[in-house]
Amino acid sequence: MATLEELTVEAQSEIDAAKPLYKQVNNERMEFSDADYEQAVTDLANSKWNDQQFGYIQARQEAYGSVQDQLDMMYWDGVNGTTLWEDHIAQVKEDNPKPE
Amino acid sequence: MAGSLIKIDEEIVTSAVASVTLGGSDWDSSYDVYMVTMTGVTPDVDKALAMRVLAGGVEQSTSNYDRAYKIMRADTTFQNASSTNSNLGFISSGLSVGTDTNEEFQTTQYLFNFNNSSEYSFVTNEAVFISSTAVAMSTTGGLVYTVAEAHNGVSYFFEGGTANIEAGTFTLYGLKK
Repeated sequence: MATLEELTVEAQSEIDAAKPLYKQVNNERMEFSDADYEQAVTDLANSKWNDQQFGYIQARQEAYGSVQDQLDMMYWDGVNGTTLWEDHIAQVKEDNPKPE
Repeated sequence: MAGSLIKIDEEIVTSAVASVTLGGSDWDSSYDVYMVTMTGVTPDVDKALAMRVLAGGVEQSTSNYDRAYKIMRADTTFQNASSTNSNLGFISSGLSVGTDTNEEFQTTQYLFNFNNSSEYSFVTNEAVFISSTAVAMSTTGGLVYTVAEAHNGVSYFFEGGTANIEAGTFTLYGLKK
C-alpha cells in the first residue's frame, strides 16, 4: 500500500511527463503557471490515494448488480437450496478487496 | 421575461486544455443568481468532471466542498453519491465521462450567493452524460463550498491532474432581476 507521499512522487513524475498542460481563460489558451502545476500534482496524488483507499466501494457497487437481480438470486436459492446470492456477494468482495 | 438571461462569459474549447475558467476578470457581480451551461464536454481519458470556485480570480482548493447527488442510470437502479470536505466539487458525481464517440457530458448549473461574502456559495447541478462504461446516466444534486466569502468565477476540469478537456462549450449567464 503506497503512502500519500509515495503517490505524490509518482504524481509529480506523471505531471512532468505530461507537460505542457494548458488552461483556457478569457478564450486564451495558456500554459499552466507553477502554481497550477503544483495543484495538478496535488490533485493527481489525491486522486490516486482515493482510488487506492476507496475505489473498492464504487467497484463493489457496480459489481453487486441491482437489488432486483439479487432478490431473484435469493428466490432461486430458496427454491433450489443453492447459495447463488451468497457466492456472488463473496466473489465481489474477494475481487474488490478493502485495503488493509 | 425577454432579455432576462444575460451572457457574461463563454469558453469554447477547440484545442485540448486541462481546465476552463468562467468569470474571473469577466465576472459581473450585479446578479444574485447565475446559470452555467456546458455542452459537448469530452475528456481525453475516462475521468470525472469537477469544479472549483474562484475567489479574487484564484481557484479555491481548500477541503471545503460538500456534495450530494442522486444518480439515475440506464443500466441499473439509482445510486446516491455524497462526500464532505473534498478539495474539489464533482459535477459528474465522481463517475467517469467516456472518450468514445458520443460519450459526452451536458449540464446546467445554477450558482447562488457568489457575491455574498458572509454566506457559503451553493451550486445546483443537473446533468446527463454517457459514462466511460457506455451507459446513459443523469445526475441531479449540488454542492456547497463551505467558506463564507465572495466568489467571482468557476473553473472546470477532469479530476486526476493529467486529463484534458478535448472539446466543449462553457457559458456563464447572469439572471436579470
